[in-house]
Amino acid sequence: MRENPPTPELPGNPVLSRNTRWLHYMPDVVTKPQLTPLLSNETLARVERMRLRPNRRLTNRTRGEHSVGTGGASIDFADYRDYVAGDDIRYVDWNIFARLQRPYLKLYSHEEELHVAVLLDSSLSMQSEEKFERARQLAAAFSTMALRGTERVSLFAGGDSSGNPAILQNCSGRPATHKVFEFLKACEIHGSATVDDLIASAIRIHRGRGVAIILSDFLTAGDISRSFNLLHSAGLEIFAVQILGPSEVEPDLTGDVRLVDCETGGSLDVTSARDLLDLYHEHRVAQQAYLASQCRRRNGRFESISSAETIEAVLFEKLLRRGWIR
Amino acid sequence: MNWPGFSAIANAWWLLLLVPLLVFYFLKLKRPRIEIPSIVLWQSVVNDQRVNSPFQKFRRHILLWLQIAVLILLVLAAMQPFVRGTAEPAAYLPVLIDCSASMAATDPVTGKSRIDIAKERVTTIIDNLSSEQQISLIAVHSSADRLTEFTGNRRILHGVLASLEVRDVPSRLEDAFRLTQAQAKTVPVESAVFISDGNIPRKIRFALPFSVNYQQLPTGGPNVGITAFNARLSSSQDWDIFLRVEASADSSGHVVLQQDGQPIGEQPFVLGKGESQRLAFQISSQGSTKLEARLISGVAEFDSLAADNVARLDLPPARPLRVYASPDLNSFRRALESTPGVDLFPKPGQPEQRSVPYDLVVSDREDDEELIAAVCLLVGVTPDDVKSLVEPTAALSKFLDWDRTTPLLRHTQLRDVEIADAVQTVAGVDVGSFEDAGYSVLASGTDGPLILRRRSASRLTFHTLFHTGRSTLEYRVAFPVLVANLVQLARQEASVGNVTAVQTGVLPAIELSPGGAYAIHGPNGSTQQVVADKAGQLRGATANLAGQYRISGGSEESLIVSANLLSSTETTLASVDSIEFDEQTIASSDEILASDQPLWSTLTFLAFGFLLVEWWFFQKPRRLNTAGTTLASTR
Repeated sequence: MRENPPTPELPGNPVLSRNTRWLHYMPDVVTKPQLTPLLSNETLARVERMRLRPNRRLTNRTRGEHSVGTGGASIDFADYRDYVAGDDIRYVDWNIFARLQRPYLKLYSHEEELHVAVLLDSSLSMQSEEKFERARQLAAAFSTMALRGTERVSLFAGGDSSGNPAILQNCSGRPATHKVFEFLKACEIHGSATVDDLIASAIRIHRGRGVAIILSDFLTAGDISRSFNLLHSAGLEIFAVQILGPSEVEPDLTGDVRLVDCETGGSLDVTSARDLLDLYHEHRVAQQAYLASQCRRRNGRFESISSAETIEAVLFEKLLRRGWIR
Repeated sequence: MNWPGFSAIANAWWLLLLVPLLVFYFLKLKRPRIEIPSIVLWQSVVNDQRVNSPFQKFRRHILLWLQIAVLILLVLAAMQPFVRGTAEPAAYLPVLIDCSASMAATDPVTGKSRIDIAKERVTTIIDNLSSEQQISLIAVHSSADRLTEFTGNRRILHGVLASLEVRDVPSRLEDAFRLTQAQAKTVPVESAVFISDGNIPRKIRFALPFSVNYQQLPTGGPNVGITAFNARLSSSQDWDIFLRVEASADSSGHVVLQQDGQPIGEQPFVLGKGESQRLAFQISSQGSTKLEARLISGVAEFDSLAADNVARLDLPPARPLRVYASPDLNSFRRALESTPGVDLFPKPGQPEQRSVPYDLVVSDREDDEELIAAVCLLVGVTPDDVKSLVEPTAALSKFLDWDRTTPLLRHTQLRDVEIADAVQTVAGVDVGSFEDAGYSVLASGTDGPLILRRRSASRLTFHTLFHTGRSTLEYRVAFPVLVANLVQLARQEASVGNVTAVQTGVLPAIELSPGGAYAIHGPNGSTQQVVADKAGQLRGATANLAGQYRISGGSEESLIVSANLLSSTETTLASVDSIEFDEQTIASSDEILASDQPLWSTLTFLAFGFLLVEWWFFQKPRRLNTAGTTLASTR
């Protein structure tokens, strides 16, 4: 009878080590320890091959992967144009000049760097029904995509209304992935800052054009358009993901209840809640439509997901199909 | 549409309690606390709801609605609503209930007597009394008893009604309506309710000052009973016993006659509806004896009245009639001598015995009025208290009219009788003057009354205001008939040779110690205290129930008097569907009097039901399926 080989000491998550003793029979898995508890290795591997797909090319002048047009210094030919005095004659196509006796300038595509700012709402309203967990997973996924795409990534996790969010700035390159994971792992839910506060804090600190990915439930009072204007004027394309719990998507309330806001502690008496569910759904859909329109108006994207959906379903089905990523 | 009315509409002010009810409800309303991530969406929902429906907050507040319903129902009950009936609302309503013997007739199907049905109807009236209404219960029998004053106290009315019992006497409505009329002088009485089985006289000499609602009860079952029971002495010790049996429907059976507790005869009878049959027995008795006739209906035949199935008769010792006739009245003496069973005094050659009691005295002397006798005929003697009303006349007089129904003048023809030395009335005197003096005019002549009757406590006295010897009466056929009637009347009054069973109502005059106090114990155990008059006569004792009455007290032994015979109209259960008063006729109404129907009890029960529903709703486990939410507390 064959004896089981000794269980290897798995680095990282001790829970994974205890509960996955069978993994040593699968050399491929065993040899790849879980890199982060936020995403499974398989999901992470798949995420690493994906890229963000912004609508606009809001890039920085620093070199990157994003082709922003002609006039660049890459090796990809883009177009020709007439030579004008002062142009660098090194870019004159001499073969064309020999044939046509006129100087034409060769234009190459210009690939610039995209700055991805991930804004993670960590207020108390995100506490219930794994909303925050799903937000961290999305943040990890988007950050991984950006870092693998040689983008620059900044993370802002805000929850405290004092205006000082947790920040991880200007990460780039694959080695920064681990740093991002550790940052997200350390994020905790606290405070009652609204998403407006988070955006305002991030805008004060953030420098660079690109994409602002907002992960929040957007259950805040007030007008979000001002914050979106700030992002838009800062050169950030808005990727807004609303994460709601199942009880927020399909509340099951009946009778007369007193609803208590876990974030603010405020209460609201609701009478005959079941009769109001239709009205609630109307308001929820209307709010989502409003958020979507605000994003669209600024060439952004909006998507509402339920925390009951798996991260794989969100990433590989919903967002992929909607063209958020490629 | 007949809208309900309210007896106490002022209690509607209690509806103001709705205000504190609403206030306290919302102040005290405890809701389950549910923590949710944000109330932003719900806030907008609630704001929108408030804008769209200001009263939305009140929807589905089951407990609140139940409390409001309970309060409203209680206040409505306090306002004492009622559905108006067909009967006009009367503040004071006398209710006359027939309690005569026929009201005891039972129904063969339900077994209910008519008095039970009458009680049910009166109970309905009592229960439906409004707070402003008062009724007075009056029992109608041979007289009338006011059971209650005008009152709205249901407890008193129900108590009196429950104790109401049937009397074995016929109905006489005059007393009841006069009593009601007397009540109408103290309170405004607009109408009265009379509940009866219809076994009442059709005509009533009474002018109604108010309207009467005559509620006729449904007919009872068939009945057969003894309506007459008497005995006549046929010889010195032989009695002929006669019974009359009447039936209200086809019936058959037999009558058993007992003498001193021993059956001595039995005779069958077969009767059709409304028919009567006379049964005769013969017995022999020298001394006093007690007879009892018991009617036994045929097998499987229903008899609705039990009181008329037994009749009792007390026969006195057989003796001839003691008659005193003045020696001057030869014609009377000759007629009396030839009458069997008559012992005529004074006998020829013997002195007059003036202190000996007689059964009949016939005399033309004023001083013979002092003789002791049950019946006295004074010929040509004008009573002292009438002398001022008449005066002698020399003209011949004739009979113009006479009462052919009175026992004395029954079957007599007086038209051609001529009278000399009669009297005529003084100018300005009419029949009423004689009646005021205590006399009844039995016969009237061309110039004034000719025969008067006066009934005193101990005797029946007739006065002819002319002398028969100075008239042609003694030569007419009417004379021996008159003498025979006189003897027959004397036999009845003296209970000699002709005994009749006592009818219920009033006991006959009984000879007792003068001024003695006695107690009469009725068949139902009741006792009435009576005092004999100075002559030793006990009169006027009521006997409203059929049965034997025991009279005790004084130095005498207990005396038992039977009063069993019911009126013939009661036994036949004949009913009238209308009552003819002096000026109007009241038709009966088969419909039950639909009085105002109070609703307060219904509303109270509804409120109680709502209270139970509210209790159940309050106690049932509250189920909230809110995934991911926290039920902080429940009510």
